[in-house]
Parts: sequence; C-alpha cells; structure tokens
Amino acid sequence: MAFKHTILCIVLSCICISVCVSEDVVSSLDGQESLRSASSPVFKDNVDTVYSVNLLTAISDYSDISQYCKNLLDLFGIQYVDYVNCLVPAARPVKVCQNCFVSFENLNKTYTNISSDEPGPGVSNLEEIWEKSNCQNCISSDSPNLTNDTLYFLTMLNQTYNCFDQYQQGNHTELCKNCKKTYQELNVLYSDMEKNNTMCIDIEDAMNVTRRRWSKTFNCSFPREENVPIIAVSSFMLFLPIIFYLSSFLHSEQKKRKLIQPKRAPQYSSLMNIQDKLS
Amino acid sequence: MANITKKVSWSSRADDSAAAAAEEGTPLLLNGSEQRRFSRQELSRSQTREIPHNEKLLSLKYEGLDYDNIENQLFLEEERRMSPMSFRCLEISRWVVCGLIGFLTGLIACFIDIVVENLAGLKYQVIKKNIDNFTETGGLSISLILWGGFNAAVVMLGSILVAFFEPIAGGSGIPQIKCYLNGVKIPRVVRLKTLLVKVFGVICSVVGGLAVGKEGPMIHSGAVVAAGVSQGRSTSLKRDFKIFEYFRRDTEKRDFVSAGAAAGVSAAFGAPVGGVLFSLEEGASFWNQMLTWRIFFASMISTFTLNFFLSVYNKKTGDLSNPGLINFGRFESESVEYNFYEIPLFIVMGAIGGFLGALFNRLNYWLTIFRIRYIHRPCLQVMEAMLVAAVTATVSFTMIYFSNDCQPLAPENNEEYPLQLFCSDGEYNAMATAFFNTPERSVRSLFHNQPGSYNPLTLGLFTLTYFFLACWTYGLAVSAGVFIPSLLIGAAWGRLCGILLASFSPNVSLFADPGKYALIGAAAQLGGIVRMTLSLTVIMVEATGNVTYGLPIMLVLMTAKIVGDYVIEGLYDIHIKLQSVPFLHWEAPATSHWLTAREVMSSPVTCLNRLEKVGTIVDTLSNTSTNHNGFPVVVQALGNDEPGKLCGLILRSQLIVLLKHKVFVELARSRLTQRKLQLKDFRDAYPRFPPIQSIHVSQDERECMMDLTEFMNPTPYTVPQDTSLPRVFKLFRALGLRHLVVVDDENRVVGLVTRKDLARYHMGKHGLEELQLAQT
Repeated sequence: MAFKHTILCIVLSCICISVCVSEDVVSSLDGQESLRSASSPVFKDNVDTVYSVNLLTAISDYSDISQYCKNLLDLFGIQYVDYVNCLVPAARPVKVCQNCFVSFENLNKTYTNISSDEPGPGVSNLEEIWEKSNCQNCISSDSPNLTNDTLYFLTMLNQTYNCFDQYQQGNHTELCKNCKKTYQELNVLYSDMEKNNTMCIDIEDAMNVTRRRWSKTFNCSFPREENVPIIAVSSFMLFLPIIFYLSSFLHSEQKKRKLIQPKRAPQYSSLMNIQDKLS
Repeated sequence: MANITKKVSWSSRADDSAAAAAEEGTPLLLNGSEQRRFSRQELSRSQTREIPHNEKLLSLKYEGLDYDNIENQLFLEEERRMSPMSFRCLEISRWVVCGLIGFLTGLIACFIDIVVENLAGLKYQVIKKNIDNFTETGGLSISLILWGGFNAAVVMLGSILVAFFEPIAGGSGIPQIKCYLNGVKIPRVVRLKTLLVKVFGVICSVVGGLAVGKEGPMIHSGAVVAAGVSQGRSTSLKRDFKIFEYFRRDTEKRDFVSAGAAAGVSAAFGAPVGGVLFSLEEGASFWNQMLTWRIFFASMISTFTLNFFLSVYNKKTGDLSNPGLINFGRFESESVEYNFYEIPLFIVMGAIGGFLGALFNRLNYWLTIFRIRYIHRPCLQVMEAMLVAAVTATVSFTMIYFSNDCQPLAPENNEEYPLQLFCSDGEYNAMATAFFNTPERSVRSLFHNQPGSYNPLTLGLFTLTYFFLACWTYGLAVSAGVFIPSLLIGAAWGRLCGILLASFSPNVSLFADPGKYALIGAAAQLGGIVRMTLSLTVIMVEATGNVTYGLPIMLVLMTAKIVGDYVIEGLYDIHIKLQSVPFLHWEAPATSHWLTAREVMSSPVTCLNRLEKVGTIVDTLSNTSTNHNGFPVVVQALGNDEPGKLCGLILRSQLIVLLKHKVFVELARSRLTQRKLQLKDFRDAYPRFPPIQSIHVSQDERECMMDLTEFMNPTPYTVPQDTSLPRVFKLFRALGLRHLVVVDDENRVVGLVTRKDLARYHMGKHGLEELQLAQT
C-alpha cells in the first residue's frame, strides 16, 4: 500500500515537471522558484502550486526508489513532453489525431506500466483532449494507425484541394463548375461519416475549412436567383384570401338573429302607473 | 313605498341618456324605471326585427344544468334503501372513475403526440428534400406550392371533420368547458363524436402547419373522457355497462368533468397542480376538499400515464422525462438565474405582453364577428381554413427564402430539419428554425438555443408575421389551441428584448442569456391573451421546472392582466360572449343593487297543477314559442285567476319520462300491478331525453290525469319579490341553480328567474346594459 502511494506521488510530481517543461521550456528541473511560477497556469484547477511543491519535497526524502522504476519514470517524462510538443503545433489546422497518435500510444503504454488503477490528474487532462477530439474514431484500435475511412477521406480532401489550387487564379465561377464534382463527393462522404460516427476532430476541422473556402472565399453557394417566380406565386397566394373575404362579404347573406321579446312582469307597468300617479 | 319614490327621483335624471341609448338598439339601464319604458317600446317595435349578430345577445339555445339535487320522494326512498356500505362503495367508485379519467386522458395525449410527431416529421422530411433539390437545380416555387398544397390538403381534412360533422369541436374548447363548468349546457359538447373529431382535428391542424398548438384541445378531450367514463355507458355506441349508474346526473357529472379538464391541463403541460388550479379557477363555485383531492389524483395519473407511455415509445422505459405534451426544457443552469434588478424589466415586459395580448384579442374579436356574420356556411369555413393554411405556408416560405440570417450548425442546437438554402455549407437558415418546425419545437429552441443563434431582425420579423397568422387562425373551423402560438410569439419578442438589452448594456455579462427573457416574454404574451392568473402561473412554473421563477412569472402575469383588462377582456371571454352564452361571472355587475327580483324575473309563469291533465302537460311541452324547462307546481285556489300557491317544481325532462312511462292516475287504478317508477328510470333517460314530439299520447290518454306529487321537487328555492339582483345572483352562482321561483308574501308564484334573466345584465361602456334574447 505504501509503495503504491509513493508511485502515485512520483507520477504526480513528474506530471508537474513535464508540464512545466512543455510550457516554458525550463531547462533546470531543480529550481523551485521556476516551478512555482510556471506550474500555476496549467494546474489552476487540479493541483495547487504549494501542494505540488510540498509533494516534491516529500519525495526527495525517499531515496529508496529502484533504478528500474526511475528509468520508467524518466521515459514517461520524455514521452509526455513529446506528446505535448506534438499536440500544440497540431492545434491549427487541427491534426491532433493524425500527427500525435503514435506519441499518445507510447505515452499510454508507459503510463499503464507505472500507474495504479486510478488515473492521475495530469494524464486524465491529456486523455480528455484525446477523447473530446474523438480521435479513437480515426485510429484503428488493434494496430495504431489511421483507419481506412480516414485515409480515404484525406485523399479525397487532397484531390479537392488540388482542384482548388488549380483553378484558384482567375474566375471563380470556373472553379465552382470544375471542382463541384469532387467537392460534392467529399461532402457526401463527410455526411456519411457524420452519420456513422466515424469522424474525429481532424476531419471535422478539415471539412469546415474546405466548406468555408468553397462558400465564402470562392462564393460557390447557390445564388438566390428565383425571386420573380417566388414573389409571383406568393403574391397570388396572398391575394386569394382578399378575394375570398370580399366575395363572402358581398355575396354571402349576412346572418341575422331573430330577437325575442322576453316575458316580463305585467305588474311592472302597473307599478309604473303608480309611480306616475305618485309624481 | 320608499323604494318606489326613490326611483322616481332618479328617473328624471336618467331620462336623456337613456333615450339616446335606446335609439342605439341596446337598452341601457342607467338607473331608473323611466328608461325601462323606452326599452320596452324599443323592443315592441323591433319584435319582428332581425339584427346582425353581435356580442350583445343571449342565445335561446343554451340551457342551464341541474346542479341542484331534486329531493323528491323517489330520491328519499332510494336513499333509505341504500346501506352505509353502498355509500362507501360510491366513494370508492368515484376514485376509480377519477383514476380512469386520468389514465385515458394521458393515453389520448400520448396518441396525439406520437401521431403528430410522426406525421409532421414525414412532412418536413419530404419538403426539406424537395427544397434541397430545388435549391440546386432551380424551381423553388414548386417547393412553395408543394408546401402550401400539402398544408391546405391536411387542414381541409381536419376542417371538413369540424365544419360538417361537429362544429362544437372547433377551436380550443376551453371556452366551452368554461361554460359547462359554469353551469351552461352546451349542446353536444361532451359527446364521444366530439372527442373523436377533436383528436383527429387537432392532429390535422398541427400537421397542416397552422399557427396552432395541441395543448388547449387536450382540456376539452379530458372533459369529454370524464363525462363519458363517469356515466359507464355510451349513448352514441348504444352500449351500457351498467356501472356507475348513480353518477348519471348533472351534479356528479360536473365534478367529473372538472377532474377531466384538470387531467387535460396536466397532460398538456406536465403540470398536475396547474391542472387542479385551472379547474378551480374556471369552475370554482362548486368545490370541496375531497373533490379537490380526487381531481389532483386524476391530474397526477394523467401526467404519469403520458410520461410512462412516451418513455416506452422512446424506448427508454422508466425514464420519466416527458411529463407533458409541451416540454419547456430545463431552466436550471446558472445562466438563467435572474437578479433582483431584472424584476422591473420583467414587469415592463409584462405590460408589453398585456398590450400585445389586448391587440390580439381586439383583432380577433373583429374577425370573429365577421366570421359569424358572413362565413357561416360549412363549405365557406372549410375554404377559409384551407386558405389560411396555404397562406401560412407561403408566408413562412417567403420569410425563409429572403432571410439572410445564417447560423453554423452546432451539436448543441440539434435542429431536426435544418434548411440550408442559400447559406454557406455547414450553416443553416435561422429563420427556418422558427418557421420550418412544429411550434412546440420552435418554442423550445427560442428558450434554449445559444445566445447569438438568432439575429434581431429575424426575431422581429418572425414575431410580426406569427402574431398576425396566429390571430387570423384562432376561430377557424379547425380544432386547435392558442396556448402554443401565444407562447411562441412571446418567446420571440422576449428573446428579442434580451438580445437588445445585452447589446445596449455596458457590461456584456449582465444580460448574457436571452433564454430567460424568452420565457418571461412567453408568459407575458400568454397572460395578455388568455388572462388566466393563478393557474397559468403554476402551469408555467411547473413546465419550466424551476420554482424560483414563480415570482417573476406571477408579476408578469399580473401586469399583463391589468394592462390588458384596461382595453378588452380575455380571448376566451370574448368568444363566450360572441357565442351568446348566458355565462354568469363571479359576481353580479356593480351598481345593480337597485334592480330587484321583480324586474329581473320572467312573468307570467307557466305553472302546472299538482294534479294535472295529461293534455295540458303535452300542450305546454309542445309549445315551441315557450320552450320552458322548469314548471312550478301549484295548488290552485278554486275558481279564480289568482296565481296559485307554490308547492314544488318539476322539470321538463321529468315530465317527459313520466309521459313516456304513462304514469297516469287512471292507469294506475286499472292496472294495480304496474311497476312503480324509480329514480333509475330517470337516470336511464339521462342525458338525452327524447323530445316531446317523439312521445305519442292518444286522444283518450289526453283526458287522463297525472299526479306530480311524488316526482316534483317539493322544496324549490324561492325569493321574495324585493330581493336585489346581487342577492339572487349569489344564490344562483353559489348553489348552481337553474330555476329560482319568485313568490309574493302568500307564497303565490309571481315569476321565475333563470340563468338568462341574470346573465343579460352586464357592465358596458356607459353603465349597466341589458342583452337581448335572440334565436340562434
């Protein structure tokens, strides 16, 4: 039990360190001041700065860590840095899954080696990125590689881009006409993938960019060019009720109500006579 | 005598204005008797005159319900025969009936919901496909015609059902149920046929894309279910299950109908408490604690049934998250919390809602008068409904077509039928989320979509068009409610308010979420149109599922009602008035204390003797000019024309049953074995007593005598002649009376007050006015 706890602490501290490294590219690991200043933006939610520092001092008391364990830890640190270094430049345009699946796979493997069952806060953070990006949809699970669907999509995308590049100069109507076929195919493929849930953030982003180029940059959306028939049909429709109400006003016979005289007390008139007499 | 002299002094003052009013054709009762002479002259002159339909009429076709228990000898005998055990059984069967009412109402709501969802889904899919196709290839006008034609065809179906088969099933049905609970017998309002037409009519009008909701009609449906179940038989299907026979009279039936109405509200909005309060607000004069408790039971069962069956339908059995037909979605996140400083803003919005509601009602009032006067033939009504459907589609399409508001498709606002049209790929037309959708869904997206998913111009245009469309639609010969369109209009302008506030305020986070303004706007608009208070507050709070909204919603509804009432009454009251229903409000009109029973009552009264000749009875009943329903029974003083002394009251329905069974004195003597008539015989004939024409009485039988002693109500309510109108009114309203005999100091019948005599007085613009009786 004690050993497990120690490992956990070590992992935690490693995470602190590696993240600091990735953030600020700090070369020295033992500087406590730099740690304090650097770790706060990343660990705002998870681990308090003071807490991590305390942890670190606590760990330095344990000198009986086996060499094997230490090696693993070092490896983990390196892989962690690799992964994060891969993630950041892949943020725009999004190529997280395509570029980083190898380093994620490595990191994951090492992590499972050294960790207990509960995931540490740092790794869960990074795993969350992976999950939210739906990367598992693009990476086949048995052999870490892109799925066939993804590869096919990427080739299609390339074709479309080639086409765009080809006709980009000069008149865009030419482009709209000539690239329509490949673009449409890509669109259909995308909506199929959307329906089947076999889509990750890379594909979504690539498609968004393509669509924006198609619609906004090249202005290839459908033009609004049927104004006249639409206006004609709708004004005809709007005219119908006017005719209807006018004709029913003129031709329909008005509904009359027969008034009925209620039976009222005859004494009443005699009462009034009394009144008249009185006055 | 003092009373009379007072009147004389008044009359001279009231002279001029009264004469002027009499010229206008509406007799005006300012204060005096002098004026009465004018109105009488006016009436006698116009005795044969026909006037165009207007709101100041009372129709002869409506009669009162007999809420008063007839304590005749048969009743006493039956009560004597009943053991305490059977009284307990009665109580249990009341509970059973309420449970059944809730269950069946929930099932009907579930059926409507599922059918509407599927049919509307199909329709929108087909049209969306068509529009997508034609956006590419050109020819969108064909899509427009397809949409319009489809809507018109579906609405035609629903409208034919209503106009030709059951006109009473038109509209939301809430005015009719209100009248029923008030004690007016609206012909055919709680029949099985009405229910069927209502259910299918609602489906047609919602699928047909009209600006209507399916919530209002649920209340009517619940009421019909209640009236049917509690009787244990169906006269239409000619099936008698021989159960619940005790409940076959107006008093018991009315209790169950109020439970049914509550169950309907509860199923429509997922608001069981709101349902109970709705019944309380609309029919509150006849209540007790046990009844309230039973009604609450029916409401709960109803919403639970709907919830359960919808969860089964959605393949999530046991996940009870669909308590009502309309689901406002959850208002629980932090962004929809409101702050203290926002309450004045809410009140201002309430005032806007009241004003817009009053405008809506005024326009609809003019339109309804026009419809009653000129569009009264069924085929014209069907044509009108079709036209409205087609125009609704056209307007929606044009708005969508010319809208430039494109929004990105995001996973959180899951539009089911996003229309792209001329937007960039990956975006959809924001106008289409409001128009190209069932109204319920549009309301929900207005409440919950991200800030920024509508631009102000879209919302403004939508509010404007939908306002007029909804106003035009209400009152068509289709069965459909006004709740959802009101909510939708209000949500649209409420959201608009929220967006404008956010753009004008210096601090962006101050008015961050327009969703809560949409909710407040919806409440304000609905309150401004229907003017319900307590029940509407609770319904809204229950539908949002957030009790903290209670205070703002209450304030908003209050303001809306005050502002609206200043201009015109609520929509339901307007329609009740235009139907010429003798509706009794909570209290007698103000300044009517000077009117006494003598002036109010009908006189002379057609009385019957305790021992009456059959011929006389038959003649009295068949007289079409005096279609009376209650006859005081008198003991005639021998040999003079003085009115006799009152000894009881007998109803037309009782007399008809007596004639049918030939309960004549002579026959009883000759056939000693004849079975004695029981209360059961009266119940079996209830509620559709045969007309007098269908009862054959031979010439010999006309000479027989009938003894009414056993059957008449021996202790009818009476008042002296000098009782003031508010006193009479209170008796009527509190006891649910149908006839009130006016007697002189020697207990001689001098007049009879009925519902129509009381309902004809109302406060008009110039003071107390009198409505005229008319044949409709």
